Amino acid sequence: MLVRFIDPDGCEHLVEGEAGESAMRCATRALIPGIIGECGGAMACATCHCYATPPDGATLPDPAAQERDMIDGCIDTRPTSRLTCQVVLAPELEGITFIVPASQV
Amino acid sequence: MNAVTPLMPDIDFAHDDVPNLHELIDELRAHGPVVPVRYHGSPVWLIMDHGLLKGAFEDYVHFDATEGYKLIAEPSMGKTLQTMAGEEHRVSRALVNPLFMPVKVRSYVEALIEPIAHELCDRIEGQREVEFVSAFARPYPFLVITRLLGIPVEDEARFMEWAIKMIDFPWDPEGSVRAKEEFDAYMQAIIDDRRANPGDDFVSRLAHAEYEGQKLSDERILSFLGLLFPAGSDTTYKNGSSLFAELLGKPELCAMARGSDKDREAIVTEGLRWQPPTAFLPRMASADVDFGGVRIAKGDWTLFGITAANNDPAVFPDPRRFDPSRDNREILTFGRSTHFCLGMHVARRELETALRVVFERFPNIRLKPGQDVQHVGAVLRGVRHMIVQPYGEA
Ligand code: HEM
Ligand code: FES
Repeated sequence: MLVRFIDPDGCEHLVEGEAGESAMRCATRALIPGIIGECGGAMACATCHCYATPPDGATLPDPAAQERDMIDGCIDTRPTSRLTCQVVLAPELEGITFIVPASQV
Repeated sequence: MNAVTPLMPDIDFAHDDVPNLHELIDELRAHGPVVPVRYHGSPVWLIMDHGLLKGAFEDYVHFDATEGYKLIAEPSMGKTLQTMAGEEHRVSRALVNPLFMPVKVRSYVEALIEPIAHELCDRIEGQREVEFVSAFARPYPFLVITRLLGIPVEDEARFMEWAIKMIDFPWDPEGSVRAKEEFDAYMQAIIDDRRANPGDDFVSRLAHAEYEGQKLSDERILSFLGLLFPAGSDTTYKNGSSLFAELLGKPELCAMARGSDKDREAIVTEGLRWQPPTAFLPRMASADVDFGGVRIAKGDWTLFGITAANNDPAVFPDPRRFDPSRDNREILTFGRSTHFCLGMHVARRELETALRVVFERFPNIRLKPGQDVQHVGAVLRGVRHMIVQPYGEA
């Protein structure tokens, strides 16, 4: 399944994602600039924040309380803010777009 | 573990300076990804392979850190995030977490971190030669914490003594427990005041924090504040000393440090990879495990070889080259998983701000020529002394 990342310079990257992996893993595997994922996906580092737009007709499950709390502490948040380590890729999300914020810090 | 003979039996990684740590690691790597070495006189397992170490950080069945931290730290430090697991750790961490998130830490830079950097530079100003570790690197992160806690300037020296003594439990049990008592008595008055007259400061926020209906008791606040000194001050100062030592010898890196915020971010990250202050992190195994070709038994001590993993050539090509442009997502300097360093953003902003302010104030700063500057220590690694010339060639 294809996942679209738009990096802080506005460059678009299309990455082949695997269903079941997190968007953070998909991004770091493809060396997408600006998504670091330093804690390895434990919601402990806040370096994997992105703005997520699922494809038409699909929605993401709401963030859990801990993800919500972490997002509150991130920089330049928007209603579409997510921690990519908590977004699990699934076939119905084919074409999902993640915009990487200008800075994680 | 006692039947095992350590490699390099003449070296004790708890006590020796090991200035050539990177070379020693290269040599040890030839014997396997996990090898026995000597630490406090006894054999322990040193984990060097990047993939294995990352896995060990994430494996709370076989490498749950809490039992080990209880032995070496709890008697003097009390119950802290490092000695808690599971639900208790999750809730306790959530209570303090907002104070360490990027958005909050950004506000510390202007209000706290940058003024301290300038204050220390003021003291250096006008001098032809200065010992940089004691003049800047060491006091800097320490003052960030005391000022965060609202300690008056005249009491900072006392705090420095307590902070050093509190983590001395394995060497001086009575002294460390006494230091913690004095520290607690002093801080209790500040906590009482903030409970009665809350403001927007750090201690007020802790005193009034609430998460899932739970609050922090005075005892928990005190042990948390105590933990900030070893966890946040010693680590950051050691890394700052290593970073400046590397930069000041290399004009092209100094030029880059005078560049953009992104440049400084990259330099700091490469410094954290190349000479992490927690070069070897002691960890007691919490269950028997076959690991990297050896059998590690419950209760055996290991050393998490962060410096070795960060210099694993399979992940970081040509690892000994200081190259801020490399991809550093995989560094293990701040650990991994749920106990990942709480203060990572504070540490990074401190180091980036130090570069910005020092090079702004002293654009021609350099190492005094002819010195042999050494990085020393394995558990807490950094530079002990280095004379700098703030105005370059005098
Ligand atoms: C360059 C500087 C620093 C380095 C290399 C560093 C490294 C680490 C590492 C490796 C851990 C995990 C330990 C383990 O898994 O056993 C850790 C945990 C921790 N660090 Fe840092 N640290 C640094 C700076 C700071 C600062 C500035 C603070 C606070 C102001 C801080 C507060 C903490 C705390 C509270 C924990 C315990 C977290 C938990 O158990 O949930 N650290 N640090
Ligand atoms: S990877 Fe650390 S919070 Fe997402």
